[in-house]
Amino acid sequence: MFLEIDQLTMRFGGLIAVNNVSISIEKGEVHGLIGPNGSGKTTIFNVLSGYYKPSGGKIIFEGRQISGLPAHQITATGFARTFQNMRLFKSMTVMENLLVAMGYRAGVGLWQEIFDPVAVHREEQTFTEKAIELLDLLEVAEFANEPATSLPYGHQRRVEIARALATNPKVILLDEPAAGLNEIETEELRKILVRIHDRGITILLVEHDMKLVMEACETITVLDYGRKIAEGTATAIRKDPVVIEAYLGKEGNP
Amino acid sequence: MRKITRILRWILILAVACLMLVLPWIAQNRYQVHIANNIGIWLLLSLGLNIAMGYAGQYNLALGALWGVGAYTAALLQTRLGVPFWINLPLSIIAAAVIAAFVGLPSFKVRSHYLALVTIALGEAMNLVLVNEVPITGGADGIGHIQMPNFFGFPINNDERYYYIILIMVILGYVLGRQIVSHRIGRAFRALRDDFQAARAMGVNTGFYQILAFAISGAYAGAAGALYAQLNTYISPDIFTFNSALIVLTMILVGGMGSLPGSIVGTVLLLVLNEYLQVFQRWQLVGYGIAIIVVVLFLPGGVVELARKFGNFRRRWLAGLSKGKSDAEAG
Repeated sequence: MFLEIDQLTMRFGGLIAVNNVSISIEKGEVHGLIGPNGSGKTTIFNVLSGYYKPSGGKIIFEGRQISGLPAHQITATGFARTFQNMRLFKSMTVMENLLVAMGYRAGVGLWQEIFDPVAVHREEQTFTEKAIELLDLLEVAEFANEPATSLPYGHQRRVEIARALATNPKVILLDEPAAGLNEIETEELRKILVRIHDRGITILLVEHDMKLVMEACETITVLDYGRKIAEGTATAIRKDPVVIEAYLGKEGNP
Repeated sequence: MRKITRILRWILILAVACLMLVLPWIAQNRYQVHIANNIGIWLLLSLGLNIAMGYAGQYNLALGALWGVGAYTAALLQTRLGVPFWINLPLSIIAAAVIAAFVGLPSFKVRSHYLALVTIALGEAMNLVLVNEVPITGGADGIGHIQMPNFFGFPINNDERYYYIILIMVILGYVLGRQIVSHRIGRAFRALRDDFQAARAMGVNTGFYQILAFAISGAYAGAAGALYAQLNTYISPDIFTFNSALIVLTMILVGGMGSLPGSIVGTVLLLVLNEYLQVFQRWQLVGYGIAIIVVVLFLPGGVVELARKFGNFRRRWLAGLSKGKSDAEAG
């Protein structure tokens, strides 16, 4: 299995945010993670990206246990993410935001970085070319030298995805990428997801926009109160009575 | 238009370079050269602190004590073991950088002003060590009879000759600083200052870069210390305190946080003003306090922000001018 979330539990004091959740994700899949507010979706993301150490269970990625590793090492194994409330670096241009994400795995060493301007110059050129390519993919290349946080909201969302791609990930975790986007922008986002998927990158998507989730995802996992209550294809999920109950409440309940 | 600007800029740089080179000859007296040397030493301190604080957001206010680590390392190596300048200088840099890395350890637990408080305490504790370890440091009396450097038989025994050593070190410090802040290391610094969590998710080893920021400011302070000890031939603990760190902090706040030219502007401005305001010596710290308040309130980016604002204004003015022209032609 490519990515295995195995009996994951995350406790904060007395609160159990994620309770014994297991999810298997295949390589190249677009996997949706949905559920009402507070159902533990973002917590799973935060564990996956190394912000929290799980209270129980483990995460296996390509046969290697990654739960408990520091965040930057998890990024180095091939995880990238965006944030629900965008977190672009505010003192930087769009280009610089992408450049931050590059060059920690390979690239010139620390001493060279200070004392070898020729190697650094070469490295910067490679990075810049790659960044331009990613900005093109997200159709925001024209803003490369603008301050990142001066861009319109929808464009900032795209820059954030481009920045995540700049870490050269195998899996990308998108935390509500359509939040705050209008219908047209959401449709553009869906096309972008297809393009990312075409590059062979596995996508894990947390999203409240059901239309987007149903269209984009091959498999969907539904969470409620930290538990997994359903998993399956979009059609199956839509008809699942447990899911309907979690979202709309029990029939006959006032 | 841009071409002319670029040429003007090079002329300016060249003029400043020439001025720097001949300064000891055009100075009216030895004291002015001494002031220039002093400025050079403080420049190294403020460049180092600006990299750590302005770029990486790491409040290293143990800087005064780290300056002392550099000075005492050089002084002890030189007076006790006869280690010449060319060897004790790099050793002082390494010593201060290593100690600074340890001073940076609390940055894993505390941030911003809390980190500032912890580093102030660490700096003062280090100063107490200098005062109380009498057998090694000479206590409050300090260390005297430090030799000035000797370059293969050519003695660098006065302010004019020493000036060139300091000039080289400052230029080196500036160029290396530029190299650090404008590429990958600098971006990692700014990333962890802007948004710590996002930086981690982008693969920045935040702990490593925090310690690196401290070590770099320590290295600059170490160089400043070794230069200071062998310029004055006498050192004592009373200058290697929080007070000095505060002066450097004022310099970079006034000049411009997160801007290396800002360090230069702030340092030169404060030290030159200081010379003219000797009469008010007692009020020096009050003056610094007022300067900080004024800058924070009215010019948060420091004096260099004025230059940037002027540049933007001029660009807009030029754009408006050419637009008006084309409008007139069209009309």
